[in-house]
Amino acid sequence: MPQLHDVDYTLEYPYTRTTGPVIGPFLTGLRDGRILGQRCGDRVLCPPMEFDPDTFATLVPDLVEVGPGGEVENWTWVAEPSAKHPFDRPFGFAFIKLDGADTALVHAVDTGGDPEAMSTGMRVQAQFRDERHGSVADVYFVPEADAAQQVIEPGDEPVTITEHLIGLRINEPLYPHRARFAQGLLDGKIIGQRSPVTGKVYVPGRGYDNMSRVLMGESDEVEVSDVGTVVAFTELNPVQYYGQTETEPYVRCSILFDGTDQPVIGIDIRDMTVDEMRVGMRMRCIWRDPEERSVEDIDNRYGNIPETVYARFELTGEPDVPADQLKEHSW
Amino acid sequence: MAPRPCAVLGIGQTKYKRRRDDVTLDGLVREATLRALEDAGATFDDIDAIVIGKAPDALEGVMMPLLSLCDALGAVGKPIHRVHTAGSVGASTAISAVNLVESGMYDTVLTVAYEKQSEGNATWALSGGKSGGQGAGGTFAPWIRNYIARSEAPEHIGWMVAVKDRLNALKNTYAHLHLPDISVEKVRESPMLWDPLHFLESCPSSDGAAAMVLGNDDIAKKSARPPAWVISHAKRTEFGQFPGRDTVRPQAGVECSEALYRKAGITNPREQIDCAELYVPFSWYEPMWLEGHLIAEEGEGWKMTDAGDTELGGSFPVNMSGGVLSSNPIGASGMIRCLEAANQVRGTAGEYQVPGAKISIGHAYGGAAQYYAMWMVSSELNPEL
Repeated sequence: MPQLHDVDYTLEYPYTRTTGPVIGPFLTGLRDGRILGQRCGDRVLCPPMEFDPDTFATLVPDLVEVGPGGEVENWTWVAEPSAKHPFDRPFGFAFIKLDGADTALVHAVDTGGDPEAMSTGMRVQAQFRDERHGSVADVYFVPEADAAQQVIEPGDEPVTITEHLIGLRINEPLYPHRARFAQGLLDGKIIGQRSPVTGKVYVPGRGYDNMSRVLMGESDEVEVSDVGTVVAFTELNPVQYYGQTETEPYVRCSILFDGTDQPVIGIDIRDMTVDEMRVGMRMRCIWRDPEERSVEDIDNRYGNIPETVYARFELTGEPDVPADQLKEHSW
Repeated sequence: MAPRPCAVLGIGQTKYKRRRDDVTLDGLVREATLRALEDAGATFDDIDAIVIGKAPDALEGVMMPLLSLCDALGAVGKPIHRVHTAGSVGASTAISAVNLVESGMYDTVLTVAYEKQSEGNATWALSGGKSGGQGAGGTFAPWIRNYIARSEAPEHIGWMVAVKDRLNALKNTYAHLHLPDISVEKVRESPMLWDPLHFLESCPSSDGAAAMVLGNDDIAKKSARPPAWVISHAKRTEFGQFPGRDTVRPQAGVECSEALYRKAGITNPREQIDCAELYVPFSWYEPMWLEGHLIAEEGEGWKMTDAGDTELGGSFPVNMSGGVLSSNPIGASGMIRCLEAANQVRGTAGEYQVPGAKISIGHAYGGAAQYYAMWMVSSELNPEL
């Protein structure tokens, strides 16, 4: 069997954050080259907080400038920065108590990659980046002696909402049963798993029978028919969310393939309109030519029979199956 | 050992809106919390433990929110845990908090549920972050068509529910949608999203939070405001897909309500329960849950809607507050059902009060209609049925 791809994709979304009455002015300050702390009794909290961390009382917004110098209270070293770290060379993360503040801000210290330049008690100073967006990443710190004088032009509107591309990269091998299912599709076959307990056939198999709580493996696998009955359908008007590539309405249906006991859900139908769809209609998978089939989008969670392996589904010409015979398969 | 009696002592809600751009997520959750504490005549010092709930983390992209919300919830140094059961989470969170009181472990528990949907995109999140997602409406529509075929309900039932819940919402200042000129014609003429569901038969996307203070019988007896006794609760789950699954009338939903009624001694829910807040994100789920939760016989739920029985002033009012069709901060929506049921039996439901309501239920479902959480509240600890 040829080696199938590893699952490798990034789940990410440009989330927004409303910044509220305390964090908003703090971020506006950073954009404008100032670091602000929040008064809390006779203390100044930086980073500012909306609530008194000791009494939980709501704090009335009352922000005062702190820094730009401060003292490192404690630190750790990042020897191998990742793509989302603030520097592309090794750097320190430090608790920094800014001058005028009573609490420490966790932030990045750039020593030019030299861990020997870091120490508890060292003096550091804020440096602002040339491009600032009202983000905690608008600023970073350097040893006080390395600090440059900066002239910062303040921006216009206060920062009330911020955007953050938050993501998670998923990189893992296909589970063996998923790999065999995907390979089957490349070969123009639909592979299911037959429960050793009940004899029911599931497509695609999960690697276990969830009803009987037993594992199912390669020895439980069977090739099933590529002819089946439509048991449900929906017309989708694609919501235009981030990453959506669909623009036009299309039909998605569930098909109970002959010899199976659970429909394959989410099969895309592109060449028929919703008005032409009926529960009970008999359809056959028309596969793409072998060299045109792809299972790149199959991962361990989503993707049943992707349209990258079939050209279309077409009517077999048989009479419809009466709907009352399909009551058990209404997904 | 019998469980310790538990009551709702305080209720707090935020205004539900498309986007609450004036507060942080922390501030939003805090707003409902402070209102619940005030209603209970309590402070953070009175709270022994906190239970929070919300729908999938992917909705806002905040992982383990129970950690970042500790300051806003006054939870530093106290036990806090988070519940996640998809759309049913608001109700199962409330029930988890009840369990902590009933067990005798804690006297007073704060429970909070929220969603700030405007920070992300629910359809993206429910699609696993991939193109071509089906979303909730696209999944439920074929099941609704099956219900209609099976029950022979006329098509106007869905439109009626959409109008009724929006008219009820006009009496609820917290509700997101206020549509004073809603009508059956407007619902019918609104764009078709997923046949048979029109745009106005679907829930909005809301920011909002809901909170309750729960206490045991000793605390409840000292309460200045009337308590709502939690006289029964139940949770049930089934797989999303298996051979023989009835998606119109899921077995887990039937068994959840059976357990709920059995524990309270309810033998005739339609007669013995005064009103209900049911999780109806799409209009047709009102008759489907009336049947699926044994309030109506199979095939009879839509007739209750059609006859006006589920209206305010009807014989079995449903979603007096306007329901999920009028406000849907997903993670909070189930808790809102629970606290609105409590509002009814406390007599604190204002303009949408069912006169003399003594027993009410709050309900939520989630996932592929596979997770169920229900509670029953009463003005009395041992109500006469």
